[in-house]
Amino acid sequence: MPDLRLLNAEPSEAERIAIDAALGAANGANGRTARDDRTKRHLLLPALRAAQQRVGWVSEGALGYASRRLAVPPAEAYGVASFYALIALEERPPDVTHVCTDLSCMLKGATVPEGAHPSPCLGLCERAPASYRTIAGARPVEEQIPAVGPPLPQAGQPGLRLLRRIAAGVDPESIDAYIQAGGFESLRHARELGPGAVLREVTESRLLGRGGAAFPTGVKWAAVAQQPALPHYIVCNADESEPGTFKDRLLMENDPHQLIEGCAICCFAVQANTCYIYIRGEYTKSAAILERALKEAYENGLLGDSVLGSGFKLNMYIHRGAGAYICGEETGMLESLEGKRGQPRVKPPFPAVVGAFGAPTVINNVETLCNVPHIITRGADWFKGIGTDERNTGPKLYAISGHVDRPGTYEHPIGITFREMLDKAGGMWKGRQLKAFIPGGASAPILKPDQIDLKMDFDSVAKAGSMLGSAAVIVMDETTCMVRSVARLSKFFNHESCGQCTPCREGTNWMELVMDRLEHGQGTERDSQLLLSICKNIGGQSLCALGDAAIGPVKSLVDRFPEEIEQHVRQRGCPFPQPRYFENGA
Amino acid sequence: MPKVTINDRTVEVEAGTNVIDAGLKAGVLIPHYCYHPRLSVVGQCRMCLVEISDNGKKMPKLQTACSSYVTKDGWSVRTDTPEVAEAQKGMMEFFLINHPLDCPICDQAGECGLQDYSFKHGVAFSRFQYEDKRTYPGRERIPLGANVVLNMNRCIQCTRCIRFTQEIAGTGELGFFNRGARVEIGTFPGKELSNPLATCVVDICPVGALTSTRFRFAERVWYLDKKPSICTGCEVGCNITMEHRRGDIKRYKPRFNVEVNDYWMCDYGRSTHERYKKLPRLTSPRMRAEGGNGNAPVVNTGWSQALDAVHAKLAATVPGEIAFLGSGFLTTEEAYLFAKLANIGGPSHRAVAVDLGPEWTIPRHQRPPITGREAAPNRRGAELAGLGGVEVAGLSADDLLNGDGASRCAVLVVCDSDFGKAAWDPEAVARLRQAKFLVVFGWADSPLAQAADVALPVAHHGEKEGTFVNVEWRVQRFERAFPATGQVRPAIEVLSDLLSRFDAGWAHLSASTVFDRLASELQAFAGLSWRRLPATGAALQVPGAVPRLSDAAAETAREASQ
Repeated sequence: MPDLRLLNAEPSEAERIAIDAALGAANGANGRTARDDRTKRHLLLPALRAAQQRVGWVSEGALGYASRRLAVPPAEAYGVASFYALIALEERPPDVTHVCTDLSCMLKGATVPEGAHPSPCLGLCERAPASYRTIAGARPVEEQIPAVGPPLPQAGQPGLRLLRRIAAGVDPESIDAYIQAGGFESLRHARELGPGAVLREVTESRLLGRGGAAFPTGVKWAAVAQQPALPHYIVCNADESEPGTFKDRLLMENDPHQLIEGCAICCFAVQANTCYIYIRGEYTKSAAILERALKEAYENGLLGDSVLGSGFKLNMYIHRGAGAYICGEETGMLESLEGKRGQPRVKPPFPAVVGAFGAPTVINNVETLCNVPHIITRGADWFKGIGTDERNTGPKLYAISGHVDRPGTYEHPIGITFREMLDKAGGMWKGRQLKAFIPGGASAPILKPDQIDLKMDFDSVAKAGSMLGSAAVIVMDETTCMVRSVARLSKFFNHESCGQCTPCREGTNWMELVMDRLEHGQGTERDSQLLLSICKNIGGQSLCALGDAAIGPVKSLVDRFPEEIEQHVRQRGCPFPQPRYFENGA
Repeated sequence: MPKVTINDRTVEVEAGTNVIDAGLKAGVLIPHYCYHPRLSVVGQCRMCLVEISDNGKKMPKLQTACSSYVTKDGWSVRTDTPEVAEAQKGMMEFFLINHPLDCPICDQAGECGLQDYSFKHGVAFSRFQYEDKRTYPGRERIPLGANVVLNMNRCIQCTRCIRFTQEIAGTGELGFFNRGARVEIGTFPGKELSNPLATCVVDICPVGALTSTRFRFAERVWYLDKKPSICTGCEVGCNITMEHRRGDIKRYKPRFNVEVNDYWMCDYGRSTHERYKKLPRLTSPRMRAEGGNGNAPVVNTGWSQALDAVHAKLAATVPGEIAFLGSGFLTTEEAYLFAKLANIGGPSHRAVAVDLGPEWTIPRHQRPPITGREAAPNRRGAELAGLGGVEVAGLSADDLLNGDGASRCAVLVVCDSDFGKAAWDPEAVARLRQAKFLVVFGWADSPLAQAADVALPVAHHGEKEGTFVNVEWRVQRFERAFPATGQVRPAIEVLSDLLSRFDAGWAHLSASTVFDRLASELQAFAGLSWRRLPATGAALQVPGAVPRLSDAAAETAREASQ
């Protein structure tokens, strides 16, 4: 029996009510674990979030109460709570501001005011510098600041697919508007085709996963569909946390029904009756809008016991993270979904065999699933017709941020050149010179301007010594200090390493320390070699891909910008000024 | 069963065996920290990286041996390639950059995974020269409970201890807190690691992060002599290694026996050797002055005088007035000789006294947990050897300890002086003292020994060899860890001397010869021999007719409660 003995600390009345609201009323006598509560382990994180939203932090009493109700040993619950950056285990004022200091915001001169917490990327890069504010209380407030970003750069433009309704200004908070704009036709069509044909169509389209790993979606679906074990689960990965990436947020905030439709088609294809949408904790607006959209979908018979009157049962739930990049790793996400620390699992077995709650599970990125309705409506051949070659097909969202004139999410046929993309984003900010760019999020090795004509598809970028990843493009001009930029990214990976496997836990920490030393003029001539050696010892040897992600920027810095490291060492300091562009409210 | 080749050695393993275990079978030790055969596989220390080829096709990356399972023929594993050596070297560097390297003051030094693998796979210099080591101020000596101390600075985050409390003890007191380079282990603030198996986390900790309160700073481990033995704490008979320095027992550590205690033992069992240091020792034979009654002084004497006196007394008394009270601490061989002594001139009263202790349960792999309720290791062996049990009529242990049985005895022989709580209880001792002549064998100078007419100092558990029969009727052998000193002699030798005074055929016996004799005589031990007794012990074929004392007691208790 787990040791659930009562702790001395008791929850306050407000905490108890908040936790009960998240878990359902307590049935056990004297706060003991009721039998049905033992199956609610996956609600641990929501319960902790609820307590924090109410009083601003998770007290021992609240933690003890949640663990008692769910029959989780308090030490384990404490381990879960301390894993997530947004959960505070020490008392703090109810009003907390997290200021993003990650690369895109740093490039635009983010500073942390007194009393605010510095934060890793908040996924608001086009609005940089950005922050996230939470106010605990009976009516908790969670807001992303600035609340409104620049308008969609491609607004009103024809020929878009994924962004069509967003560009046309279709109201995201109305299912009727969505249906009028052709929504749910694809789901209906999928019903007529049947699961096998849907699966064939998606496989045939050669859709590659848009989350970063570029795994063929059809293959993934087929692997789960053929698993005899039931139930099957779908988890939509909306834990978009890679610095520079914010495309999924746009899709969820502005066209939630498109995602729901994509999820529903996926569930139908692999015969899953349950779908979880795991949204990162900071995406408050996305969660609220999706929540509302789900409600509307249920009301309109698009979800629930009989989807479109077909008898196919489908339930969709929103599960919110609490500040952990690693929960975007698919098995880390499953652990988090199950109410545990978001530590990636050893693979094999892969999620297609043993996934959420031990069942075969498809995990797809938001953008991937948003592509699905279009593939079903227009056919695989249409999808294949877009793109550079056999493997790189379809439209692609590119989130471009940093030193460009019009940062934002753009839809381009996959394989557009970087030059063209930069032009469409208004060119370099203030007409400055391009110094470097990251083609696919923080983990992608940095490229130099000689790659400006690079085709932005998975294979071309890989050939150029980087990766398309999540297609988050961060552009840096000549005033940028590469050492400082990479030091910030190293800090990010160290902060977000889950800490279970040795090379990542120790290696990312060491890299951050060395990068920090370099930036602050304490570097030595041997540091380049040392960094490469650390990268080598992490590369390919960590438990999940985070280790490999962490070495990308560092390795490319040593390989492609050696003169800048040398300059730092020689001058015993950083030769570049701190970025201060937004001082005058520009 | 699939075949797998590891460094050119091919072995056949059961399908589903992981590469670490397959390596052990092939005689190749693949270094690892987080893997433990009884805990879930987490693959997080990354120390066991190996190169695997499937039918000649090399896997693209190095694989963790712990999470690679051999399921089919054709795998070839290499642990000696430059890539593997490079990876191991890199991993050792990662482990050590933030480790305090305080081996000179660390209890684990000498049996430390970091030391061993550094020596084998690491490099001798550090490149971590300019940065500060990660420390956990205030978390260098945290008592996690009564028996375990945590030094977070030394931890390598393998999480074996956490998985132990979650998966084996089932109590989950330990957790993994925080994230990234700041991860740490610990209990929930204000709670304790207090399960009965808690000290096992010290055994499985590959480094000096978890140390035993009991053993802390007691001895450098390289000075310890280690002998396979059996715990005497209860009737489970956990296999242990008795670790001592020159006869001073420093600790018990569990010794793997899949049939009995698996890899574990309880904290109570670990403490049982402390009696030998704490309690007064009987160091010389003692005898009441010649012709004296109960009030004459007891004086030190020589062995032959003492044994002559006992021999004379036994020979002169009719068997019906002699009683032998044995204990569950006797080895089966000692009990056998006692029974022989008891029958030498005709049947005397024989009984075995055993305390019912607290219940201790050890979880086992693929077997139901094993539970001990009696506070002695060998009640079953003693009874099988003829010293008690249902078929033995006459005075019972209860008659002697709680009734007036002793007053009806001309001679009462008790073995041993620390047979249970009663030996230290003045009232019980007074009842036993009612016998006209009281002979006590034993290692402890208990009130019972002090009341005896003849007290004979015999070897304790660490100083003798023999067999115990555990709660599941498994006979297990243990070795002598160190010799008895001074006048103390092993009971086998003493009994052999005494018996030979009646019949020369009993002279010069040792535990092994006695065991072989009893095996040839007693049905339950048929076919066994001292030499061929397996290291894991042998299950005895005992008909169900012999009830378990504890079962009977439990039944009585149940009836009483209804």
